[in-house]
Amino acid sequence: MKRYDCLKLLAPMVDEHTFAVTSLSTNAPFWFNVRPEGPNFFALNMGLCLPFALGLTAAFPKRKVISIDSDGSLMNDASSLITVADVNPPNLVAFVFDNSSYAFMGSTFTARRTDLAKMAQGAGIAKSGTVKTLEEFSAAAKEAIESIGPHFIVAKVEPDAGRVSADRSRTSGRPMREWFMDAVRRHPDYQGRR
Amino acid sequence: MDQQSVQVIIETLKEEGVDLAVTLPEEPTFSLTEAMREDPFFQAVTVAGEGNGLAFCAGAALGGRRVVFVTGVAGLLVGTWALSQMGMVYGAPILILASYRGDFGDHSGIPGSQLLMFKQVAEPLLGALRVPYRVVNQKATMKRMIQEGSFACQDYSHPVALLLSGEVLW
Repeated sequence: MKRYDCLKLLAPMVDEHTFAVTSLSTNAPFWFNVRPEGPNFFALNMGLCLPFALGLTAAFPKRKVISIDSDGSLMNDASSLITVADVNPPNLVAFVFDNSSYAFMGSTFTARRTDLAKMAQGAGIAKSGTVKTLEEFSAAAKEAIESIGPHFIVAKVEPDAGRVSADRSRTSGRPMREWFMDAVRRHPDYQGRR
Repeated sequence: MDQQSVQVIIETLKEEGVDLAVTLPEEPTFSLTEAMREDPFFQAVTVAGEGNGLAFCAGAALGGRRVVFVTGVAGLLVGTWALSQMGMVYGAPILILASYRGDFGDHSGIPGSQLLMFKQVAEPLLGALRVPYRVVNQKATMKRMIQEGSFACQDYSHPVALLLSGEVLW
């Protein structure tokens, strides 16, 4: 199963008001290519994607927030699973694209004995599981988006071949932040300063 | 922290519209975080690590929530990675209330070598991370300093830290 194929299936499932947060890995350019518009926050560095998405669930409790994380990033701060379980947000859908590798730099712990879905279950996220085929991914994503969460879905994917380009002014740093804030301020549920 | 300080902080945060309190329980500020937890005005969240707490705060703050992160100097050290990202890279308006462990007057019983480390590291760390901060150690001025810290946090769109010490904390 390829990460990009999963994201191409996921993008049409989310509406224009759904929030999406990605990690720094290839998740960012891939997600930008399949869902360039809308409230997307791209390319959070190691360990920060899932808890940032959790914060958005507190700001927009009536909207789904999708976290598109990667195995290396999540393992950098796995205690965020415990925080997610304790907050227990009904509107969070957390994906982890687990390619069992640190980009081209060798295998991660999930290539050996670590099972992220079991870790999430142990942390207290009841709706946790692993999918290994596109059919399984599609069914799990659809069910998660349409039902009460939090959901935690580990998608076992192949290592990505090479790097993918995307407009960096839209997918990283302060320029990306300003695109995101523009989408946030136009969001119908936004309660902050305009 | 005594009840007078707790009441002033809670009253001021309410006036500032800060209604999301995030913390990892810590002894000197425990009376404050417990009072927030019991007050229905606040959504009180306990996090398992300071790093994910600061990232949580950033997501909520950029989404429009007024948020306070209650921690100590040790928590700032643990959360340095997240604080550098959420401050310098993304400019998330997070108001931080941190017990200033190791400041003069800390008689909490932690070994002096630890207190000295906190004292030596806390303010240079905030400086290195470009986090504007003030030391709040007098009850007579703490309300105004919280108000000003809250305003600066929103106006800068950046984390701002208030280091609680002296008669405010002990």
